Amino acid sequence: MIILGRRIRMEQRLSTPRSLLFLVPVFSVFFALVVGGVFLAATGHSPIGTYLDLIDNGYTSFYGITDTLGLATPLICTGLAAAFAFRMNLYSIGQEGQMYLGMIGGAWAGIAIADSFPQVIAVPVVLLVGAATGAAWIALPAFLRARLGTSEIVSTLLLNYVALNLLNYLIFGSTGFFRDPTTSFPQGRLVADSARLSPISFFTDKVTNTYPTFFIAVILAVVLFWLMRVSNYGYETAVYADSPNTARYAGMNSAWLQSSVLLISGALAGVGGAMYVVGPAGKVDPGLLQVGLGYAGIVVAALARYNFIAVIVAAVLFAGLRTGGNALQISNDPVPIAIAVVLQGAVLLFALGGELFRRNKITITRVQVATT
Amino acid sequence: MTNVAVAAGSSTTVQPALQARAVTKRFPGVVANDAVNFDLARGEVHTLLGENGAGKSTLASVLCGLYRPEEGQVFRNGTEIRLNSPRDGLAHGIAMVHQHFRLVDRFTVAENVVLGHKSLSFVLATNDIEEKVAAITQEFGLPLDPRAVVGELSAGERQRVEIVKALYQGAEVLLLDEPTALLAPPEVEKLFSTVRAMTHTGKSVVFVSHKLGEVVDISDRITVMRGGRVTGSVRRGEADVRKLAELMVGREINIVPRRAKSPTSDVLLSVSQVHLERDGVEILSDINLDVRAGEIVGVAGVAGNGQRDLAEVVAGLQTPQQGNVTVCGTPTARSGALGARRAGLAYVPEDRLGTGLAPSMSIVDNMVLTRERGFLVDRKSALAESEQFIKQLEIKTPGPLTPTRKLSGGNSQKVLLARELFAVSGARVLVVCSPTRGLDVGAVEAVHALLDEARDAGKAILMISEDLDEVMTLADRVMVLYRGHITLEQSGNDADLDRVGRAMAGIA
Amino acid sequence: MNSNIWLLTFADAISIATTLILASLGAILTERSGVINLGVEGMLLMGAVTGFLVADSSGNLWLALFVAVLVGVVLSSVHAALTVGLRANQIVSGLAMVIFATGLSQFIGKPIEGDPLPVLIRPIDFGALSDIPFFGPVVFGHDLFTYLTWALVAAASFYMHRTRPGLLLRATGDAPATVDAQGGSVARIRWAHTVVGGALMTFAGAWYMFARSAAWNQSATTNGIGWIALALVVFASWRPLRAIGGAVLFGFSLQVPFTLQAEQIRILPPTIVAMFPYLITLAVLVVLSTPRARRLLGAPKMLGQPFVRDER
Repeated sequence: MIILGRRIRMEQRLSTPRSLLFLVPVFSVFFALVVGGVFLAATGHSPIGTYLDLIDNGYTSFYGITDTLGLATPLICTGLAAAFAFRMNLYSIGQEGQMYLGMIGGAWAGIAIADSFPQVIAVPVVLLVGAATGAAWIALPAFLRARLGTSEIVSTLLLNYVALNLLNYLIFGSTGFFRDPTTSFPQGRLVADSARLSPISFFTDKVTNTYPTFFIAVILAVVLFWLMRVSNYGYETAVYADSPNTARYAGMNSAWLQSSVLLISGALAGVGGAMYVVGPAGKVDPGLLQVGLGYAGIVVAALARYNFIAVIVAAVLFAGLRTGGNALQISNDPVPIAIAVVLQGAVLLFALGGELFRRNKITITRVQVATT
Repeated sequence: MTNVAVAAGSSTTVQPALQARAVTKRFPGVVANDAVNFDLARGEVHTLLGENGAGKSTLASVLCGLYRPEEGQVFRNGTEIRLNSPRDGLAHGIAMVHQHFRLVDRFTVAENVVLGHKSLSFVLATNDIEEKVAAITQEFGLPLDPRAVVGELSAGERQRVEIVKALYQGAEVLLLDEPTALLAPPEVEKLFSTVRAMTHTGKSVVFVSHKLGEVVDISDRITVMRGGRVTGSVRRGEADVRKLAELMVGREINIVPRRAKSPTSDVLLSVSQVHLERDGVEILSDINLDVRAGEIVGVAGVAGNGQRDLAEVVAGLQTPQQGNVTVCGTPTARSGALGARRAGLAYVPEDRLGTGLAPSMSIVDNMVLTRERGFLVDRKSALAESEQFIKQLEIKTPGPLTPTRKLSGGNSQKVLLARELFAVSGARVLVVCSPTRGLDVGAVEAVHALLDEARDAGKAILMISEDLDEVMTLADRVMVLYRGHITLEQSGNDADLDRVGRAMAGIA
Repeated sequence: MNSNIWLLTFADAISIATTLILASLGAILTERSGVINLGVEGMLLMGAVTGFLVADSSGNLWLALFVAVLVGVVLSSVHAALTVGLRANQIVSGLAMVIFATGLSQFIGKPIEGDPLPVLIRPIDFGALSDIPFFGPVVFGHDLFTYLTWALVAAASFYMHRTRPGLLLRATGDAPATVDAQGGSVARIRWAHTVVGGALMTFAGAWYMFARSAAWNQSATTNGIGWIALALVVFASWRPLRAIGGAVLFGFSLQVPFTLQAEQIRILPPTIVAMFPYLITLAVLVVLSTPRARRLLGAPKMLGQPFVRDER
């Protein structure tokens, strides 16, 4: 495009300056904060003051940190789930529903079978069952994609709503297995004690919202990262993601690769839901519906550019935004929590735009306006 | 060298329909057309003949307005014209039909024909358009139903749509770029009769092609290009295949052959009675060939005669409808790529970066692509191997961790060969396609040396190449692939260039 | 069983369908040019909340609708800039838009949560005509914009299939290289249709707000209608006229739980019944995925692919 006698063109870079790898995310956050600040100011709040409060409540105060780590726990899982699939160009956006199913499955295991096991067995069992249920929930879209080429975007998305209604049904719509038998108030039945973990007190006597599941999630991310680096499976998925023709040439089974990636993605989101049971909730809790952790996981994954270690960082960052935002709601100058969601979306949008700068550069050259 | 140049305003009273004078077109690093003269008489079929990269497509693009030449002039009916875009060309009645069709599958024939048409009304007068299209198809013997959906048409029919598109827009001069590349033999016949019908009504046609044998019959004149220059021009009847081949290639084909040093022994690769069909079209018919340990069998042929499919069937990537492939005694036709590899076969495809290598991944990562991998990928030994090959084969690269897409053509080919020839242990049969395509002289030498070495080491090599030189140089036995059939088999030493060339052209 | 209530349900379904039709029409136009905009859900919400706010402060329905449209133009321009201008990944951009717009609508909607609607869109009073048995409520019971929507669909269908720019639009989604080779501007066509699509999406949200909602409350307002609209695009095979049938079907399935509850019919628990729209949509998607169906009725070939011209 030509503006004012100068041709502005976008060309692919031959190599990316290292500085950009840091600058792009940093600037994305910065510009997002600017945009958020505009909306804050427009509604009569002080941007700087709000942000300072946000940081304090989200990242620097004791309860802020622990709340953040607690919220980051399932977010790491859904972030991993999204990253795992997106890196293969499989756009599953069903992490939300898979997480609910993981919660349901984990709760089932926690109620039905956990009390016959000691804690050291029961907790992993609950997590595994949660993973399996999450995978089961994505099995249909995976099958449809492999067999019929149905877009996984819409199919996984629709199942989110089905899962949401299922969750509502189990707690509000019925008085069955998952309901607390001791009260007529609609809430979930508690799982066995052996299926639960106590919060980490960090050497204080305070009760926090951080559970050992946080470290399980971090370890999961690290292990996954390492596994995909060194294993044949990680290798084959990387080749397929790079060039499907090459994968075919090498004799790799594309259908299997795609389906298995989706199933693992579902399992990861399911584990997140199960962690919620093992950790804070101890039951099927419809409160999880409000948080939107599944969709947030997609943002986290995109921001982390599908790198599993970066997912940890991004998840903590976003969880901090949420908890900080939560606190803002009830502070002296109440700001709707939605500001956190706005910031999330804005960061992603800017990161997307910034991504282009990483891959391309803008060249501006003077042109003579042709006279013929 | 004969240069047929018809100056504008010469003694002949009829001006050529289209003429290029001293046209020069440069791209970064290469002169695609170097002071080219060319003319097209009205009602004539004039073929531009040459190998890939000779500059014939470039010239055609200049003539239709797709490119602007750095130097030189273009004349239409004796008057100089300046073409800034294909639309300008169309305004002068010049249209090009590209090799890769630019059609919308979902649309009908009629919709495709009018898609770019300038004077189309806001509301489409579908009936009128369909009638006009029908009229054109009738007039030029291009049977097409204007309401047919293009996506359901055969390659030949789609080409007809492209031609109708040009005619609808009022083209009097048509440039057809490699028109027979995607056609089956009966469709080629149909195309030729269409071309004759067009020239009978006064339209002029330029055929751009490298298929020597096909164009001999249809052309009134053939102008041969090589390396951006015109090397010669002959009229109908003067055409001699051998002379044309020489003009295309540029020299007396003087080959210093490399042959097997020791007598060959067991048959390691056996292909028998292979038939391959796709979408109802026969791609390979009754292929039979053997390759022994310590020999190179070269399969020559012009591009588009089934080379890639043959390679993929042998390598297990495609399953033939009939026939067998046996690698080191094990039948592999239905075992897939992995089965063929396990039996001892290695395959170097023509498409290096898009198929043979994973472009964003490092040399080390690519080194393990075609070997058996355990649960964990052993990158350590792959790293050692890569470093060794880099040194041994003088691969120019910043390091073994460089993504392969950053390597030049020659270097990425070296990586591929290193992997398939040496790194894949136990591979005794090698299938290699167009190994030196697009490589510079030095790289070509290096690759040929590698293949020679492999032969001496006792490997059985099936080399499928469009480069006749290469085949004649290296092959112990020469075969020709023409339209999916093996039409000739000769021992390398006895190979008669004339016979081979004619077989490649499909001439008995 | 009161059969009249089912008739009213059907009429209601047609009414709800208006939102679906408008939103999916916007998506159809966008996707036909080759751009996929997943941000529908967020756009609906933004349209609803801005419409409410403007109506609240001005009392003017038309102004509110106009501003809602403007918001749609702005938001979809961001998407277009990212995806067409900068060739970013369209899916991620759309999802980011959903998240951003959802959050933003919640944020600016906080002050008015629970407030009653300042203005309403009412059905046109056709008098005696609406008492005609069966046809009455179904045909004559709707508001001005619903009728306009039907007209708009017809106009869009005509545009797409019978006019020159419509031909270009369809070609751009399937074969942008061809359009480019013939001198057309792929970028311009994509921008234009993405922006128009976005305008329709926010308008749909605003209409829903004034015609069918009781108040502004995020989760009750749209409840996934945006996503159903996207599925509706596939159901309609990217053809405007076909969107109507599907929209009514989905509208019906969305309305049924309320009717069942009102009539105290409990064959199935309401939450289970609430799953139906999504399950039906899924089933339809599957049926439409068979290879033959996809080839002829299918998506624009280059949907979701950024267009890069080979520089020569």
